[in-house]
Amino acid sequence: MRALLKSPALWMILPSFALTMFVIGYPILDLAWTSLQEVSRFGKLLGFAGTMNYGELVGDQLFIDSLVRTGIWTACVVTGAIVISLPVALILNEDFIGRGVARIIIMLPWSISLTMTAVVWRWALNGRAGLFNATFMNLGWMQEPVEWLATAQLGFTVEIMVGILVSIPFTTTIFLGGLSSMPQDVYEAAYVDGASRWQQFRHITLPLLKPFMNIAIVLNVIYVFNSFPIIWVMTEGGPANGTDILVTYLYKLAFRFGQLGKASAISLAMFFILFAFTLLYVWLVMRGEGETGADSDEPAPEEEGAPA
Amino acid sequence: MTYQFKRATVAAVAALGMLGFAAAASAKTEVRFVVAEYSSYSGKHYEEVAAAFEKQNPDIDVKVEVVPWNTLLQRLTTDIAGGTAPDISIIGTRWLLDFAAQGVAEPIDGYLTPEFKGTFIDTFMTPSVIDGKTMGLPVAASARAMMVNLDLFEKAGAKVPTNWDELYAAAQKISKLKDTFGFGLQGKEIETDAYFYYALWTHGGDIFGKDGKSGLNSPEALEAATLYKKMIDEGLTQPSPTNYNREDVFNLFKQGKVGMVFTFPMLIPQVKAEAPNLKYQVLPFPAKRAKATYGVTDTLMMFSTSKVKKEAWKFIEFAFKDEWRTQFDHGEGFLPVTKNVAAEDFYKTDPDISAFAAGLPYAKFAPTVENWEEIADTTVQALQKIYLGQQAPKAALDEAAAKIDKIRGK
Amino acid sequence: MKLSMSPRVKRSILCWLLLLPLVVVILFPFGVMFVTALRPRDELFVFPPTWAFSRFVWTNITEMWEKVNFGTALLNSIYVSVSSTLLALLFGIPAAYALSRFRFPGKGLYRQFLLVTQMMSPIVLVLGLFRLMVVFGLVNSPNSLVFTYAAFNLAFTIWMLQSYFNTIPHELEEAAWIDGASAFVSITRIFLPLAVPAMVVTAIFTFINSWNEFVLALTMLRESDSYTLPVMVFAQVAGRYQIEWHHVMAATLMATVPVAVVFSWLQRYLIRGMALGAVK
Repeated sequence: MRALLKSPALWMILPSFALTMFVIGYPILDLAWTSLQEVSRFGKLLGFAGTMNYGELVGDQLFIDSLVRTGIWTACVVTGAIVISLPVALILNEDFIGRGVARIIIMLPWSISLTMTAVVWRWALNGRAGLFNATFMNLGWMQEPVEWLATAQLGFTVEIMVGILVSIPFTTTIFLGGLSSMPQDVYEAAYVDGASRWQQFRHITLPLLKPFMNIAIVLNVIYVFNSFPIIWVMTEGGPANGTDILVTYLYKLAFRFGQLGKASAISLAMFFILFAFTLLYVWLVMRGEGETGADSDEPAPEEEGAPA
Repeated sequence: MTYQFKRATVAAVAALGMLGFAAAASAKTEVRFVVAEYSSYSGKHYEEVAAAFEKQNPDIDVKVEVVPWNTLLQRLTTDIAGGTAPDISIIGTRWLLDFAAQGVAEPIDGYLTPEFKGTFIDTFMTPSVIDGKTMGLPVAASARAMMVNLDLFEKAGAKVPTNWDELYAAAQKISKLKDTFGFGLQGKEIETDAYFYYALWTHGGDIFGKDGKSGLNSPEALEAATLYKKMIDEGLTQPSPTNYNREDVFNLFKQGKVGMVFTFPMLIPQVKAEAPNLKYQVLPFPAKRAKATYGVTDTLMMFSTSKVKKEAWKFIEFAFKDEWRTQFDHGEGFLPVTKNVAAEDFYKTDPDISAFAAGLPYAKFAPTVENWEEIADTTVQALQKIYLGQQAPKAALDEAAAKIDKIRGK
Repeated sequence: MKLSMSPRVKRSILCWLLLLPLVVVILFPFGVMFVTALRPRDELFVFPPTWAFSRFVWTNITEMWEKVNFGTALLNSIYVSVSSTLLALLFGIPAAYALSRFRFPGKGLYRQFLLVTQMMSPIVLVLGLFRLMVVFGLVNSPNSLVFTYAAFNLAFTIWMLQSYFNTIPHELEEAAWIDGASAFVSITRIFLPLAVPAMVVTAIFTFINSWNEFVLALTMLRESDSYTLPVMVFAQVAGRYQIEWHHVMAATLMATVPVAVVFSWLQRYLIRGMALGAVK
């Protein structure tokens, strides 16, 4: 213990630890405490309520529906983003004319805030005043304007599409990073051995991309699970609660209906769901990789700038 | 305890007290005022009022905080929960009971002089009186009415309606025109329920019955909802109303694509700017068993936690002077809440505004009940299920009524 | 007639064709933004809607700029994003250095703790955070955002930097020590300059996240004078009696352009940073 106190490492870590504990740790405790209380319309604590708030959740059909929908939303957006980003990254890793421009375009959605993206899409998807339908009708791909956000099913699908679109830049960047760190000599050897491009991809690229894939999955799941602006701006969880996910439901409960105790309980439930997911995923990855799993304590073996 | 220690303590306390005193003497009294943003004009107006007020009262500093409507309740909730509530705020009158019941709103009877009270139009004063106490002042008001596109009526050979049967007939004729719909129906977001109350009231129903139970399962409500649903199914409204919020419906009207919409006075300047060639007329809502309009007021409320109530009240009295009120009402397109502004020629002679104001004698207001937001949301969900055909009108309304009664503990 | 195309040209055409659908979908909202922002107001609601319009109304932008106080919001956004980026680096660099160079108990635990901090979304924490800021009197101050953004981005910053630091050979610093330089000098003079690319990457990340964050800004900032850009744009569409779409889109366009420019300039670093086994 004394050795630890003397260690410079401790003092170097301390500021970052203090800041995160302070900004993230304290509110979590505050939430946990609030979720066990009866809370007034405007957040005054009225007294200990035990697990009442959690009990209410179990019996709440809207909560269950939102939970299921959050699962669908997260799974679809993350899968979609990865399935699209992988080939895009492979293409962007090729040497072709205008690659720089292409990379910039693909990264572009990253530079607008989600809120603004959602506002623009909502305006563009407007049934009769929006340019999306107008364009499709001009091209003759559509006879009647489609009301994209009128039903929960179609609206949710559209939101998932937008969700995928805004997740592509981040995911592609991770994959591109992975691809450009690939050791060239392995490919050269494979080429000499007469491996086809597909075989190269299947047996060299994909396995080497695996750690990048894992990080893309974990981070995207966390971000998408918690993502609020797209659904909120486009449909506010409607119509008839048909596109509510946990965060939008939580927001309504907390800030419209003033049920802060129940909202805190949902917050905490969400935290534990993500926590469980991450543990499970890390465990699965570890188990799958066996002893090859890179020990985080070891310095990474790659060096900068593979032979050009 | 030693003498020395005591002396040190006394000195320290005295020093602290002096510091506190010095701070109080040098600092201006700050009044925090949350202004809900009706349009980009709202903030500008109250900044101007505050500046003029500060000139006359150099010891008071009015801080205007402009907040968008959609986030106002969230803002106030976090503020109250965090203990940083402002001193005064504009709020939706529909929330007032929640604020009053939780002891957040300060009764203002003690401040309100008879002369000052006399400047307000009584109709607008009543919604802010709760259990005999005045909890706030009306700060903005509008009444709702029907707006019709005269060109479309002429083209379709339809007659401008005064009752629901005529509206239905006119909608049929107008909808026969290409790419045009008779009646614009709002189906999502803020005031979707109001668009239904218009029909509910004019059919003779009400939001809450005399026994305080939800009126959504009344025969009148069923009749109104069935009529809306029938018009959707027959293509007399724009397709998929659940994709249209208030603003989207009005945009259709500006595009000249719908014959009739239910709207507020604030739409008039927009139509003039964005669709200058549109020929329109403002009319009362179609009536069946009753005449009705929706009177909407917003309330200026003082917080019970405020430490500067006297100064805040001084500012309130200042802001309600005629010169400011007339600027504000004209700038936003509201109906006047004070008698003097209402007496201006404009509000009597302007055909559009006077048509909106004509409904005031029989205007209904949103009931001031607790948990109104949740009740309204329940109503909206039921309406969306009906409009989408997910549930039959009767089943959806009965279910919503039961849920609302449960929320209210009836 | 020239029949043969060089393989590079062929490959380029193929690549662009494959990317085309995505490129179109990505550029579509920018196009919408552009044509709505510069349209005359009375052509906003024509039916059917068209891409074309009679004339460019550049004054939409200047009008919007004044009306919504765009300049202030822009400065606020820049202040918040730059400060939180610097703060994240300031706290992140020593932590990453320690994780990379020292063995100490609880090291793995700390990395896991950082991952856990990533699991809370701001909206979930917003009430607790707000109360925290009230205690410190930071409500309505852009500094409340600086601290929160820095904290939320620390995890990513530390992982990235640590991975990069791992690739810098120890021998360099050790050589400096032998030459008699103090640890501090060896780190600041020798080590940090080598780590600049990684710092650029993490800086971009934090900057963009801060630039785009919405929920916290909406809760913490109480006055239009302290609004950041996303909140300012949202305020234009949130529950008003009137939404002036041409101004909304003009604001969105103006808010997007600076980041897009910075972004295109720096994106190569981003990928290079990722390539260094960044976030493993």
